[in-house]
Amino acid sequence: MRKILLGTTAVVGAALLAPSMAAAQEAPTVRIGGFFRAYYGNTQQSGRTSTTPSGLANNATGATANLAQSNVNGVPTTESNVGAPATAISTTTAGAGEVARLSKNDFSTDAEVHVFVNGKTANGMSYGAVIEIAFNQQEGRNIVQQRASTGKTTASIDEYYAFIASPTWGQVRFGDEDGPVGGLMNSGVITNFGTGGVYGDRESFVSRQANVRTTTSPGGLGDNTKIIYLSPQFFGFDFGASFAFNYGVGEDTGCPTNQSSGWCDSSYAFTGASNFGIAAAGPEMSARRNEYQAALRWRGSLAGVGLSFTGGYVGSGAARELSPLSVQRRVFQDLGVMQFGAQATAYGFTVGAQYEHGKSNFFWGNLLTGDRPMDQTFVGASYTAGPWTFGANYVMQTVEGASRTAYGYNAAGALTLSPNAAGAALMRRLGYGIGGNYRIAPGMDIVAEYSSYTIAERGRDLDPSNAGVQDRQTAKVFILGTRLAF
Amino acid sequence: MKSVLAAIAVALPLLAACGDANQRLVNNDEYGDYRRSAARNRPQGASAGLVVFGVDKDREARDAAAGGTGLSVNAYLWRATLDTLSFMPLASADPFGGTIITDWYSPSGAGNERFRAQAYVMGRQLRSDGVRVQVFRQTLERGQWVDSPVSTSTNSDMEDKVLARARELRSQSASR
Repeated sequence: MRKILLGTTAVVGAALLAPSMAAAQEAPTVRIGGFFRAYYGNTQQSGRTSTTPSGLANNATGATANLAQSNVNGVPTTESNVGAPATAISTTTAGAGEVARLSKNDFSTDAEVHVFVNGKTANGMSYGAVIEIAFNQQEGRNIVQQRASTGKTTASIDEYYAFIASPTWGQVRFGDEDGPVGGLMNSGVITNFGTGGVYGDRESFVSRQANVRTTTSPGGLGDNTKIIYLSPQFFGFDFGASFAFNYGVGEDTGCPTNQSSGWCDSSYAFTGASNFGIAAAGPEMSARRNEYQAALRWRGSLAGVGLSFTGGYVGSGAARELSPLSVQRRVFQDLGVMQFGAQATAYGFTVGAQYEHGKSNFFWGNLLTGDRPMDQTFVGASYTAGPWTFGANYVMQTVEGASRTAYGYNAAGALTLSPNAAGAALMRRLGYGIGGNYRIAPGMDIVAEYSSYTIAERGRDLDPSNAGVQDRQTAKVFILGTRLAF
Repeated sequence: MKSVLAAIAVALPLLAACGDANQRLVNNDEYGDYRRSAARNRPQGASAGLVVFGVDKDREARDAAAGGTGLSVNAYLWRATLDTLSFMPLASADPFGGTIITDWYSPSGAGNERFRAQAYVMGRQLRSDGVRVQVFRQTLERGQWVDSPVSTSTNSDMEDKVLARARELRSQSASR
C-alpha cells in the first residue's frame, strides 16, 4: 500500500511539475464588463403596510449604539436594536413607533461593473482576477442625522477573487466568491428566463415586514472569503471543493470598535451569538464557521440530449455563545445540507430538478439545537426559440419556523434556555415564477415575469406589525423591464 | 461524513492528475454565476466586455482570420504561400482572388527540367484545407519543352510546407 501511495505521489508530482504544453505567454488583459437593469414592479404583498407599532428591528438607532455590545431589557446582545422600543417618534427616521402604507408600484434599477484580468504563462497556465463592483451597498436607507446619510447606491464589492488554472490540475480560486454548492456547479436550478422566476429579482420589490422574500437559493449560501479548488473535466466528471474560516468578506477584521466582539470576522464565541443563525444582511454577519463545500458534477449528452447531474454537500460549524462570565455554550447545530440536482436540454427545452435536505434554517443558517432539518424541492423548465425564452420554476420547502428554544441571560450573566412551546410548528415556504424574455440586441433583453412566494406556519403571528394573528403571508410580484449585459 | 469528504478530497485530485485525452480544463463560463439570488446574464463569460489594457487576443485572432490587413483570404496562409514559393520567380499574385502563379523555374544542375506552381488560398479561416498547390513540370526533349508528370506527392508536400509555415507565423504573432 505504501509503495502504491509513494508511486502515485511521484506521478502526481511529475504531472504537476512537468511543463504541460508549449503555449505562448500572454501579457494580461484587463476587460470591463457588467450589467444594467431597470424594472417596473407591481407588488401585492400581505404585510406590506404596517398598522401597529411593533418591536421589530428598526435600525433607527445611531451607528455607534447599533454596533456596540449593550444590554437590552437586561439582556446583553450585539443587536441592541432588536426589540428596543423607539425612544421618540422622529421625523427623519422610521422608528418602531411609526406605521406606514406602501404603494404597489415602483421602479427599481441596479448595475454592476466587472473588471476581468486574464493572462497566460509560457507553460500554458492561465491566471487572472475578477473584481465585481456593485451599487446596492445597502438595502435600506441609513440616515444618521438630517445631513448625515449614506446613499442606497453607494459602490461596494459584490465578489472579487484571483484564480490560477492549468489543463493538468484544474483551477484554484481564492477570494470572495460562490462555492461549488453555492452556485458554481449546481444542476437543475433553472433560472434562465425572465429575471430568474422565484429566484429572480423579485426581492427588489418585496418589503421584509412579514419576511415573504428570502429564499434558500444556491447563491444565498454567500460569497464569503474562501479558497476553492475546481478540477479539470475527465470522462465528463468534474468536481470542486471549498473552505472558508467564517462568514466574513473583504479586508480587515470586521471589529467595529476597539473591543473585540462578535462583529469581528474571526470570532468563534461571543455574547449574543444565538441571534445570528440567520445572517444579518447588511453587516454580512452570521454564526457560520469553518464552512466546507464539495460537489461532483457529470455532464454529457445521450442521443442528442444534454445532461448534467450534480451531487454536493455543504457543512460548517457555528460560533458558540459566550456569557459575560466567559462560559462558552454550544447553542447551534452544525450546518449540513446535501444537494442533488439534474437537468436535461434538447430542442431548446431545458428541464431540471433539485432536492436538498439537511441541517439548515431557511437562509442557509445554523439551526438552534433541537430544531428540525430543512427539506427543499425545486423544479423548473424553460424553452428557448430564437430570441424568445420562456420558463417557469417552483420551489417547496419545509423548515423549522419559530425556534423551539429561546436563549437569554439572567441578571447574574448566566445563559438561560427556555423551551418555546409555540415553536413546534412546521414552516412551509412555497413559491413559483413564470416569465419570459425577448432579446432585442446582443446582450439586451426585455423581460416580463410573475412570481409568488408564500410562507405559512400554523398558529404563529408572522406579522406583528398588523393587528391579529397572520400565520400565512404571500407576496406576488409582476416585473416588466429591460436588462443589458455587457 | 468528514472523513469520507477528506478521503474524496485527497483521492479526486490524484485521479484528475492521471487524466489523458479525456481530460480538459473547465472554462470559467461553465460555472454558474449568482448575484445573491439571481443568475447573472453575462454574454460571454470572462471574454466579454471591452479591453481597456493589454492586447485583445480574441479580436486579433478574429481580425487575422478575417484578413484585417486588407486581404480577403487568410493572412497567415497567404504569407506562408508567398514564403514557400519565393524560390521561384513570381508571375502574378492576386490577394483578393487568393491565387499565386509562378513563372517557369529550373533548379540549378537540372537544366533539362523546369517547374511552375499555382497556389490557391481559399477562405478566411486558417484551416488545413485552406490552400491548394498545383505543380507543373516540363522536360527538355530534343530542344522542345514537353509536359511531363510530377510525382503524386509533390502537390501535397508543397501544401504541407505552406501549412507548416502558416503555423509558424501564427505562433509568432500570438507570442508578440
